[in-house]
Amino acid sequence: METAGKHILIVGVDDSEHSIYALEWTLDKFFSSTSSNLPFKLIIVHARPHAASIIGLAGPGAADVFPYVELDLKKAAERVMDKAKGLCEQKLVQNVSFEVLEGDPRNVMCDIVDKYQASILVVGSHGYGVIKRAVLGSVSDYLAHHAHCSVMIVKRPKTKH
Amino acid sequence: MEMRSEEAEETMQQQQVQVPPVLEEKKKKRVMVALDEHEGSFYALKWDLNNLFTTCDHGLGVDQQDVGIMIIVHVQLPFQHYIYPGPAGPAVYGNTSVMESVKKAQEHNSAILLSCAVQICEEKPTKVETVVLDGDPKEMICQAAEQTHPDILVVGSRGLSKLKRTFLGSVSDYCAHHVKCPILIVKPPK
Repeated sequence: METAGKHILIVGVDDSEHSIYALEWTLDKFFSSTSSNLPFKLIIVHARPHAASIIGLAGPGAADVFPYVELDLKKAAERVMDKAKGLCEQKLVQNVSFEVLEGDPRNVMCDIVDKYQASILVVGSHGYGVIKRAVLGSVSDYLAHHAHCSVMIVKRPKTKH
Repeated sequence: MEMRSEEAEETMQQQQVQVPPVLEEKKKKRVMVALDEHEGSFYALKWDLNNLFTTCDHGLGVDQQDVGIMIIVHVQLPFQHYIYPGPAGPAVYGNTSVMESVKKAQEHNSAILLSCAVQICEEKPTKVETVVLDGDPKEMICQAAEQTHPDILVVGSRGLSKLKRTFLGSVSDYCAHHVKCPILIVKPPK
């Protein structure tokens, strides 16, 4: 158990609406108090897929395509982080760290949890179409099993009434 | 399936508070915690109390109303109506008296469990409700969550650390898949 100190809360985001919703939800629930002495330190982590994993078995033209894919991924990552920063400012949450790491999201998240000794990891869940009830997004499922901390899986509600 | 709910008394005295209705709605959190006899669940409860209700700990005085509602759910495994015999012989249907006494023992156990839980909750200014259900834990918890629509569902994890943390308790896994609200899986400390 941690001593009296800030607990670390990590939110994993990717490009999808679900993780942005998860971030918003977390900000609302955990950081809505007006007192400045919050018990949690928030770290937002974005796992960026490596360009090589996308190009994969492209073939002869791979080397040429690489820099473009790399650039595109960087832009996508920046968009995500900007959205996240915007949300934090909107909710008046300060003292947030942001990290962007390359690699497979599962491993990245597990490593980050270990690095920061986080108390909670929050991730969204995709809810794939028809099979959404049967299968959690594979990343959140993997993390629920393998992360060394408590895991919160935030599901986006369907049409609210 | 039986469903009994008991409301524990409110732990904070209600003072004259001029809280505007909008704020009040925002502050109330409905948290559902699933308990069984495992250590892991109590740890989940304590952890949950510490972390989700810390906004009241800042010495803001007694002006705060209850910040949230905590619903504690305990699911009892259904008792089977027959008794497997020790020595050879056909299965024997238990007498009603035997069944009754086992049921009473079960109820007694749950009552103890729940009162421990309520005691733990008493330090924090939240309203506590307890619910006891009978049946298969996974399905019952999901059903309870569907009926009450909590903000968060908290479950413990068996913490089968010997298996190198590769396997969540099947109840928490099932719930994570089937429940519609956000779910928090609390793992025991190493």
